[in-house]
Amino acid sequence: MTAIDVRGLRKSHQEFEAVRGISFEVPEGEVFALLGRNGAGKTTTVEVLAGLQRADGGTVRVLGLDPYADRAAVRRRTGIMLQEAGFFPDLTVAQTVDTWRDFTAAPRPREEALELAGLTGRSGTKVRQLSGGEKRRLDLALALLGRPDVLFLDEPTTGMDPQARAATWEVIRDLAGRGTTVLLTTHYLEEAQRLAGSMAIMDEGRIVAAGGMAETLAARSGRVAFRLPPATDPAALPLPVTVENGLAVCRAEDPDLAAQRLLTWAAERGLRLEGLEVRTATLEDLFLDTSPKVAR
Amino acid sequence: MSLAATYRLGTRLFWRDRSMVFASVVTPVGLAVGLPALMRHVTSGGVAGATALAQSAIAILLAITAFMNITVALTGRRDQLVLKRLRTTRLTDGQLLLGQIASTATQTVVLIVACAVAVRFAAGVPLPADPLVFAAATIAGSVVLSLLGAAYTAAVPRAELAAAYTMPVFLLCGVSAGAMGPIPLPGWLQTALDLLPTSAVVHAVRTGDLAVPLLVLAVWGAAGLVALRLWFRWEPRRS
Repeated sequence: MTAIDVRGLRKSHQEFEAVRGISFEVPEGEVFALLGRNGAGKTTTVEVLAGLQRADGGTVRVLGLDPYADRAAVRRRTGIMLQEAGFFPDLTVAQTVDTWRDFTAAPRPREEALELAGLTGRSGTKVRQLSGGEKRRLDLALALLGRPDVLFLDEPTTGMDPQARAATWEVIRDLAGRGTTVLLTTHYLEEAQRLAGSMAIMDEGRIVAAGGMAETLAARSGRVAFRLPPATDPAALPLPVTVENGLAVCRAEDPDLAAQRLLTWAAERGLRLEGLEVRTATLEDLFLDTSPKVAR
Repeated sequence: MSLAATYRLGTRLFWRDRSMVFASVVTPVGLAVGLPALMRHVTSGGVAGATALAQSAIAILLAITAFMNITVALTGRRDQLVLKRLRTTRLTDGQLLLGQIASTATQTVVLIVACAVAVRFAAGVPLPADPLVFAAATIAGSVVLSLLGAAYTAAVPRAELAAAYTMPVFLLCGVSAGAMGPIPLPGWLQTALDLLPTSAVVHAVRTGDLAVPLLVLAVWGAAGLVALRLWFRWEPRRS
């Protein structure tokens, strides 16, 4: 069954059209990553899905319900980690969780929520004294309090140290394994690649690439790069390359095979291919190819 | 249950913020008890003068503890994106606002009653002759002023300006109820100021007449509700 269904969604802020007719579906129990550079429209999409903003056009359904019109009903089954939201700075971590438990039907026990977010040792600390990464973990604890069926995570690991990030990935993977549907936006492409089963890349309010993570990446070409030996004509190489600043880049469906051919060619001529790098397609390649305005 | 949760939250936060307690408890209570006590012991106004001033001072409590407090608290939480976070819970917008309004109104009623008792001992001001009228007027007044304060946040561009923006309201309410001493006003202006919700509460407490003040409060309450629906902002302006 479809947990999140977006069709032709449009949303403007004053004159600016932030989301320009996007459509996607997320089946129950899947982790879906929404990617794109800043200002691509990801957060607006999440806020419409969370029922905080009303769609200007198109339809949006979460668990079959309109998140804006049926907000109370949708909220009982969703958890939301906004990209930016405030806390009461003078409450401690434990008091914050207790306050939010008050707002949640059948909430997790406080200790369980703190343990999930890795904040057990910080329960007596005032929120104003937490680091950015710790605040993010408290965000996660609050989003998970109601054992949601659908979880919206807008840049969930921003500001976290690598350990906390890995722990958070583990929590998300575990939740997904138990059937929670997760919609994730992130700047960390590795995060998306590790967690998400499918994804969409947004640019200027539109979806410019979408599909299953594994299939999409498999369909992309890999890359072999090396410094072009001195006095070598790129046209003489056995495979077509592009040269930028002395770096030759060869795109190939099977980059291992391409590297072998290039090395054999070089060996026959007594040349070295310095700085040789062989890479299968990553999400980053796809992202850079589809969002041309990202600074390379 | 959810309304009770926001009520508890509002109350917890009210007493936790020390500078806010100073501004919205210590200062107005000091004025509402101190002015009648001075009138009784230092001037020749006697008990009658002290009583009139104590009744007028209810306008100060309503303007500060209800109106200013909720305006400052809600604009602060709006600009710190706390209201936005609260909206990600299962609480409805109505529950969030009504819980806060009920909490602020309760603190105000408690302080008004405490001041009525305090001036009994500090200035010999008799306790309200008709406790029911007193209770009805102060409860209705506290709710309406809290509601208006919540609606007024729409006019406040940034949290740090909230207290300054409530100052004219405080002055108007204080002057019209006579809490700032006798200030000569043109008749038409006094008539207009008598229509303020704070003046209505003071009028009811002073005269025991409840019908007209409750009508005035009902009109203000309805206006506040409409303004809340139309203009209340849950997030700071994006610009």
